Amino acid sequence: MDKVIKFFIEVGKLKTMPRRGWVIREVKDPESIAEHTFRVAIMAWVLAEKKDKKLKLEKLLKMALVHDLCEVYAGDITPYDSILPKDKKKRRELLKTWPRFTEKEKKRLAESKFKKEKAGLEKLIRNLPPRLKHEVMALWLDYENGQSPEGRFFKHADRLESFLQAAEYWKGNKNVPQKPYWIQARELHDDPVILEFINQIDKEFHNKIKPKE
Amino acid sequence: MDKIFYITKEKLQELKKEYDELVTFEHNKTVGEEAPKIFESEDINPEFLSFQEDMSFLRSRIGELKNIFEHYELIKNPPKSDQAVVNLGAKVKIDVDGEKDEFVIVGTLEANPALGKISNESPVGKALLGHKIGDEITVSSPIKTKYKIKSIKYEVG
Repeated sequence: MDKVIKFFIEVGKLKTMPRRGWVIREVKDPESIAEHTFRVAIMAWVLAEKKDKKLKLEKLLKMALVHDLCEVYAGDITPYDSILPKDKKKRRELLKTWPRFTEKEKKRLAESKFKKEKAGLEKLIRNLPPRLKHEVMALWLDYENGQSPEGRFFKHADRLESFLQAAEYWKGNKNVPQKPYWIQARELHDDPVILEFINQIDKEFHNKIKPKE
Repeated sequence: MDKIFYITKEKLQELKKEYDELVTFEHNKTVGEEAPKIFESEDINPEFLSFQEDMSFLRSRIGELKNIFEHYELIKNPPKSDQAVVNLGAKVKIDVDGEKDEFVIVGTLEANPALGKISNESPVGKALLGHKIGDEITVSSPIKTKYKIKSIKYEVG
């Protein structure tokens, strides 16, 4: 049991680990990784109900719970990390758009992120009972690789939660850039339920003021 | 109507290999034999396979693969005369608001934006389809982004 307690204590660290995407954007008192996990689980559940083809909810919700566990040790890696300037002004400029990389760089960054996160998760769950350990890892790999319908849908839900959070931060502070989130929304999402919800977010947040960048 | 999965030949081969291995594995598990050595390879997800106490994971994946095999369509190179326009399987060099990028237009199963594989069902993927070199597409909602096509190549088998 002491090993399970250790696991719970380690997982609990996510309650106070701020999401790096907001830290680099200078958001005051940003949400924690656990707070993101909580809402993405709710969103995935509710939005999954709108799908024509029903998803396995238990699998989807467990996937939501485990998807960022690796960050206890791997940290919260963002696409900007390898090119983030130290200079505040340059950094703010860079964060106004979505970073572009060559095919080779994309492959290298994706592999390095995957390796680091997989090692982080392995370390975190190493003392769990074998069946649970394998289930957590299988769920995480499914999410990472978009293997099953649940894995693919959850990946969209995960990005959508950050998208909604970005709109909420923007509502309170117009300096929080929106363009990278909209670029992602248009390039990354292809699920009709998610795309419809993005249009609803647009209506909800931008009926009076539209974001400039 | 069931969804059609547009996949490359490479992806189909990968999925068929996975399917054969999973079916053999399931069979061996059912008859209580040891898993063959092949399951220790890096080609398939070892964690998935070592999750032996819950066969439902295994069966559910086999079911998903069967569904794909029943509803797939191979992405093929269009005839030479149509290769000047963006279609499924096209590798597109693009200028996005002045920044260079490169996309491959794929079906939803293979979409992996982190690797530049954009789904043909995403708003940008959809907007690029049917366009040729030099065309500029503006995606606005609510912030405008301009995508200018610099080159189009087809490399699928």
